[in-house]
Amino acid sequence: MKEITRNWPFLGCLLVLAGAGIATPHLFGAYWTLVALNLAMWIALTQSWTLFSGMTGYISLGHVVFYGIGAYVVVATFKTVPLWISVPMGGVVAALFALIVALPVLRVRGPYFVILTFGVAELVKFIILNIETGLGKSSRLLFGAPGAQTLLYVMICLAIAASGLTLFAKVSRFGRGLTAIREDETAAETVGIPVARYKVIAFAASAAIPGMVGGLMALRSTYFEVLQVFNPIVSFTIVTMAIIGGSGDARGPLFGAAFMVGLSELLWANAPRLYMILLGLFLVGFVVFAPSGLVGLLARRGRETSA
Amino acid sequence: MSAILQARELVSGYGDVRILHAVDLSVAEGGITAVLGSNGAGKTTLFRTLAGLLAAGAGHIEFCGSPIETLPSHVRVERGVVLVPEGRLVFPDMSVEENLRIGSVNARARSKCSKTLSTVYDLFPRLDERRSQAAGTLSGGEQQMLALGRGLMALPKVLLLDEPTLGLAPTMAKQIFEIIPNLVELGLSILIAEQDVHRTLQCAQFGYVLENGKVAVSGTGPELMQTPAVSEAFLGH
Repeated sequence: MKEITRNWPFLGCLLVLAGAGIATPHLFGAYWTLVALNLAMWIALTQSWTLFSGMTGYISLGHVVFYGIGAYVVVATFKTVPLWISVPMGGVVAALFALIVALPVLRVRGPYFVILTFGVAELVKFIILNIETGLGKSSRLLFGAPGAQTLLYVMICLAIAASGLTLFAKVSRFGRGLTAIREDETAAETVGIPVARYKVIAFAASAAIPGMVGGLMALRSTYFEVLQVFNPIVSFTIVTMAIIGGSGDARGPLFGAAFMVGLSELLWANAPRLYMILLGLFLVGFVVFAPSGLVGLLARRGRETSA
Repeated sequence: MSAILQARELVSGYGDVRILHAVDLSVAEGGITAVLGSNGAGKTTLFRTLAGLLAAGAGHIEFCGSPIETLPSHVRVERGVVLVPEGRLVFPDMSVEENLRIGSVNARARSKCSKTLSTVYDLFPRLDERRSQAAGTLSGGEQQMLALGRGLMALPKVLLLDEPTLGLAPTMAKQIFEIIPNLVELGLSILIAEQDVHRTLQCAQFGYVLENGKVAVSGTGPELMQTPAVSEAFLGH
């Protein structure tokens, strides 16, 4: 508990953001509600990714698979199962899927793991695409989904839950075990950390919230397309935000997501043609000049001013 | 002296490659047992198999009279079989103290963590001085002390020391060898793999010579010193 309260700047930041998000639909209208929804979504996704990849060092390049599975669960049961059941169910199914693939997938490390997660996501995408085509449903229309404001409020809850989970994991014995795995997996095994169990639990935990996020986002547009909810760009963006935010803990995703969402708003509005080019330049710049991300930059600046 | 840890016809290796062929060995309770052998004889494979990092292909491992060969490594640590791996393997970005504290992650050692920590700092004052330093910035010898200390934090009954002086400066190696008898006084039993045969046989009561994954000779220190195979292979006379 002491270690949680020590993170009060982070918790304060989170509360202010949540408050601003809740006020947005009333103060700034429909457009900014969607921007806030977007931000909350990326925070929830990137936090969940950090819980597993940031802590263990196993870089997942396929987190969109959990998002897509959650979306598919909600869409496939739309109008038959109430949303307050189907959205959490999306998270449960995503976590179960993670549990099932964890054992074979987590046997490999480094670049092999990266490619494998990417491959698994693509595999699931095409399996579901084939199922949908077989059912004669290349895309589905969703009428009567809740409005953006409701989605935003639920999404804020997910963003807070994901941030809380990552923060809690970091200060717990579980999180220290994950960090030990990242630093040296063999050594972690010799000190008596149940390495296999910890990795599987972290992987499943990092899948649950993305599953629910996917379910919510499926409701955001009125049509559902498999290629869209399993778009690998989602996975890439998560990793990008985590890199730009930096740090292996809960602070990075907050900064990374806020920075990237802010930047894309700015660029889409002012320089749509340069958007992707500038984004690429930023990413290269961060990796080369600030490998520890925004959190690292801020920490360095803090040290310089106090020195 | 009775055996606290025993391997019977232990077979192990990596995939299809067999490294250990039916090794029989026992670690005396409250004593120091040595495993000698040249590079590639199977010492590290033996230690990793005893600790559960590698699955035994066949054969048995008994600890305090009960079989442990099917238990996962973290359960063996909790029972009291702790490996200090070859190459030290400290957690480089964690501080010295974090490295030590994580050593007592198992349920049996957890509640005694702070008490064990002061014992370890008494044993290694060097680590005490460097508590908050990142482990990766320590010298090789200090890292070896840290790896030893981290092993002790798990409250082992048997400590498996895999080449604790590998790559260390001679004075450092000497210090490590001076510490090992102190560990026995703490009530530990020790299995040590070493290339420094002279020193090892001076402090060990019993030794095994491993050759191509088999026990070639075994005996007490003085016995082994006089064995032609040992003196030719390791002592150069």
